[in-house]
Amino acid sequence: MRSWLTAIRIVLRKELLDGVRDRRALFSALLYPLLGPLLSGLLFGFMADKQRDAADVPVPIVHQDRAPELVEWLAGHGVTVVDAPEQPREAVREGEVPFVLSVPEGFEASLAQGTPAQLELIVDGSRNDSRAAISHVQKLLGYYGKELAGQRLLARGIDPEIMHPVIVAEVEVASDQELAASVFAFVPMFVLMATFIGGMQLAVDATAGERERGSLEPLLLNPVPRSAIVVGKWLAAVVFALGCVILTLIACVFVLEYTPVRDLGLSLDLRVPALFGVLLAAAPMALMAAALQVLVASFARSFKEAQTYISLLVFVPMVPAVIGMMTGLERSVGALLIPGVGQQIVVEQLLGGGAATALDYLLPMLSALAVAGACVWLTAWMFRRESVVFGR
Amino acid sequence: MIVAQQLRKRFGDIVAVHEVSLRAEDGQVTGLLGPNGAGKTTTLRLLYGLMRPDAGTVQIDEVDVVADPLGAQAKVGVLPDAHGLYPRLSAREHVRYFGELQGLRGAALEQQIAALIERLDMGGIADRRAAGFSQGERMKVSLARALVHGPNNVILDEPTNGLDVMSTRAVRKLIRELRDEGKCVLFSSHVMQEVSALCDVIVLVAGGRVVARGTPDELRALSGHGDLEDAFVELTGIDDHRADHRADGGQA
Repeated sequence: MRSWLTAIRIVLRKELLDGVRDRRALFSALLYPLLGPLLSGLLFGFMADKQRDAADVPVPIVHQDRAPELVEWLAGHGVTVVDAPEQPREAVREGEVPFVLSVPEGFEASLAQGTPAQLELIVDGSRNDSRAAISHVQKLLGYYGKELAGQRLLARGIDPEIMHPVIVAEVEVASDQELAASVFAFVPMFVLMATFIGGMQLAVDATAGERERGSLEPLLLNPVPRSAIVVGKWLAAVVFALGCVILTLIACVFVLEYTPVRDLGLSLDLRVPALFGVLLAAAPMALMAAALQVLVASFARSFKEAQTYISLLVFVPMVPAVIGMMTGLERSVGALLIPGVGQQIVVEQLLGGGAATALDYLLPMLSALAVAGACVWLTAWMFRRESVVFGR
Repeated sequence: MIVAQQLRKRFGDIVAVHEVSLRAEDGQVTGLLGPNGAGKTTTLRLLYGLMRPDAGTVQIDEVDVVADPLGAQAKVGVLPDAHGLYPRLSAREHVRYFGELQGLRGAALEQQIAALIERLDMGGIADRRAAGFSQGERMKVSLARALVHGPNNVILDEPTNGLDVMSTRAVRKLIRELRDEGKCVLFSSHVMQEVSALCDVIVLVAGGRVVARGTPDELRALSGHGDLEDAFVELTGIDDHRADHRADGGQA
């Protein structure tokens, strides 16, 4: 047993040294954690900017003279009314302005007669970036309409309250952090994907690469159990995967703390204990991801083939993550026991400011460890087969 | 000492090794000679335990290779058919890695590494990464890591394949030195001159069988050709019956 552990340590140290010197392995372990969170940070920051700016967007109106009361009302509500561009439709289509409000002829007359008066809002529905500004101006116009309706009812001696037979009040039960977690569902996904991406290159290089270079035969000639060699290689990939997870978490914290994401009015629980909880939940996933990769790469007949299979494996953690983002994952014993899904639930809960129970950690950990153990055992079995060693 | 008896190995329908028995003594260089596809590499893989024979036994210094492959591998240094290097490790790191896996530690290991670097004239490349090594340099690293644990038995699969004159000479010199130290050296080759220049005993294989064995002189006498190359052609020829017959005679 002791010599077995010693052999594992020797192989692990060599593979780590080799991995650190491998520019490709380092790139995938270092670049990914920075790229994903930073890109989404930029995206969310951009969204926050749009939302904040929506209130400040000036309202271009065609034929302001046909609706002086409306213009006055808008100005009284802090809106800057400007002259519309020469060609309002073209301008909207080109994105020069997010929308143009047009007052048709007879607007004032209709108002005076109390018949529905029409306003035209020229928009381009295919432009995502103008959506916030459009809904803002629509809301304003809605208020204006309601105010007019109220005045008319009052003039006829009717209480405007009659317009509201039912009032729906939303009672928000989610904490701010839970709301934030649903918006930032990308964080658990990045964390769980990091477990697959971090050790990917190393796993391929240490198995399929080892055989393709012709260095597997000499390696296996050392008086060391094959299982020790496989475990050493597996653990090296695990170390890279965990490093990638830690970097991803750091990058996410950085993005959420130092970009305009905060202006969305949401905050994630990014205190140190929660982060350690995430790491604890992700660790078994890293063990499993690396074991799957080592197995698949040993099974492949060449380095290229192994890379193809393994890049497909990255989609495995994405499935529960995407389901979680779309519909939310239900927390049940069954779901917790599915590797990947369980981790997703725990990480979401932790980042949402909730506390995870021991069972929440334990169940996904057990299932992930079972899968990892089975994969490593199978790989060790394959390494004892002549057809695998000699690539037949 | 390496003793193999009636080895047999089949891959699917193809029988790579029909029946090979051989005995490589300590203090001798034994050459496994045969044309391409004769089953030399498979035979050697059976000897150093990376493949299990379908039938037959192998013993290295009286350790049964099939029953205790790890015990046997501690007693043998092997240059296998595939001997790739890790491009991102230096020559010294290669030798150290294998030395550690062979159970060497600390000062004893470093001393052994230094001795091998000196012996194989690898001073210039010891701390360079293997990515840019020439064929000869790669061979030296492969030999050094095979010998790092100072094994009593050495098995080399085509050790001079693809080497230039200087590197070939260095390898031959090493083989002779190992023999003079009393080690058992077994190597395979398809090159006549090499075998005749180095070997004390030649085992001639063709079609997965031993067709003749003996000293170079004995083989020349056996085939009736004064030239060893003619003897090679004659003995490994298509006429298996005659070759087998002679093989029996040569064993005496």
